[in-house]
Amino acid sequence: MDTLAHLTGLSVATLWMLAKVLIVITVLMGLASPLTWVERRGSAMLQDRIGPNRAALFGKWRILGLAHVVADGIKFFFKEDLVPPHATKRLFWLAPMLAFVPAMMGFAVIPIGRSFVAGGHTYHLSLLEPGNGMGMLYPMAIGGIAVYGILVAAWSSNNKWSILGGMRASAQMVSYEIGLSLAILAVFMVVGGYDPHQIIADQGAKGWLIWRQPIGFLVFFTCMFAETNRLPFDFAEGESEIVAGFHTEYGSMKFAIMALAEYFHIITASALITTMYLGGWQIPFLPNASALATVVAFATKVVFLCWVFIWIRWTLPRFRYDQLMFMGWKVMLPLSMANLLLNAYWMRSH
Amino acid sequence: MGVIVKQVELSWLDRSYVWPVMKGMAITFRHLLRQITTPSAKRFTIQYPDMKKTMPKGYRGLHELKRFEDGAIKCVACFMCAEACPARCITIEAEEFSELNFTQGFEEKRPKVFRIDMLRCIYCGMCEEACPKDAIWLRNEYELAAYDRLSMNYGKWDLMNTYAAADGKAEIREDLLPAVVRGPVAL
Repeated sequence: MDTLAHLTGLSVATLWMLAKVLIVITVLMGLASPLTWVERRGSAMLQDRIGPNRAALFGKWRILGLAHVVADGIKFFFKEDLVPPHATKRLFWLAPMLAFVPAMMGFAVIPIGRSFVAGGHTYHLSLLEPGNGMGMLYPMAIGGIAVYGILVAAWSSNNKWSILGGMRASAQMVSYEIGLSLAILAVFMVVGGYDPHQIIADQGAKGWLIWRQPIGFLVFFTCMFAETNRLPFDFAEGESEIVAGFHTEYGSMKFAIMALAEYFHIITASALITTMYLGGWQIPFLPNASALATVVAFATKVVFLCWVFIWIRWTLPRFRYDQLMFMGWKVMLPLSMANLLLNAYWMRSH
Repeated sequence: MGVIVKQVELSWLDRSYVWPVMKGMAITFRHLLRQITTPSAKRFTIQYPDMKKTMPKGYRGLHELKRFEDGAIKCVACFMCAEACPARCITIEAEEFSELNFTQGFEEKRPKVFRIDMLRCIYCGMCEEACPKDAIWLRNEYELAAYDRLSMNYGKWDLMNTYAAADGKAEIREDLLPAVVRGPVAL
């Protein structure tokens, strides 16, 4: 690292930041495409189907349908880039980016492994250094922005189905975000800080928060489904009711970006759940594991949670719209409130 | 008129929604494990061009005009099938042929043209039921597709040979005996 810094004339910190950004973005990109494969083949297997398996590389190797990922990409790329005549063109173009970027930005504070020391430098395995003052508040704030992508897409499409989907998404966000915030608040309170490094260290010392706050975990987990706009809470899309909801008018690469944003949301949400409740990069019973092992542990947890997201999607039917409102205001909110108060009481008495 | 709505009393465990979700996930996961461990030949899905279903015995697919053992057509051009056909897809033109022959059951009439428009045919099997000679069968072949409408018009020799390869019989392209053109009969 030192020689590379010397050669390029950049500081070690800058180089390490560049490397981290590159690695994280590449891995995220690399993970999202196989997720579409897992979604399609996995759902098929869950439903006693076979799933897409016909596309073959050079017409020869079917490789379990993995070629469909490539085929889909090529297809989207070469499709006509259509903007409906009555759409607001600028916003219509902006919306996929608004959906895509926040989905990835949330990942910036999450530590993907133990910090390590090499050659006199300390390397932290999260894009933003610990003690940056934002901590876990940052992904929450970004998560709040994520709904704008959907809303802007819906509004600019000038389509009744789309606007219905967008309205649903925004109303949905209001109803789950409060429960979500209170669940997180309980975590911050117990840990005594909102820096992800601090949260993970605390979990390593006192046990994972999923055991210490099971109710909070349930609320957070459920709200993450609403946050990612996935079944059972994908009213914004709701294909049986409002065609395709907010992306009814989208096609070609813009649609692909919308769809990819959903998978990035899944990965980010899984990473958040891992950090908050599943001990982040901690390995159980191995408090002194090496940095590489912790990265592997973190990846395993995230991939498993991604699978749980897909698994639940293909297990549950979609809720009715008012049922989520009911759940958000009358179940999640009191539950997370009770969780907060119980933890506060427990902290005061100990 | 009132409808009696059955109220199902759910236990608190079911109302919690968490436990039923986990049960549902267990069910889907069991299906996943079963589907993954089943070899693809035994799965529910028949992957069509690679795997084909064996059709049941009474299946009504592509027609065959039956023949005698010496290769003569069984059809006597009685027009019963054409009459019975609800889709009106059978066209027959009859002709006479010269010598009476025992294997052919002393018939002296046969179709010169026997055409079925497969685009019109609804595979109802009425022709098969109407036939007094068991000369037309609907059998198990169902992959009928062509690039133009004309090739969906199956003629006499097409219909005679539809299952020749499947049954291991020789393809026949002409009648055993020549047709006889008779003049008008004076009454």
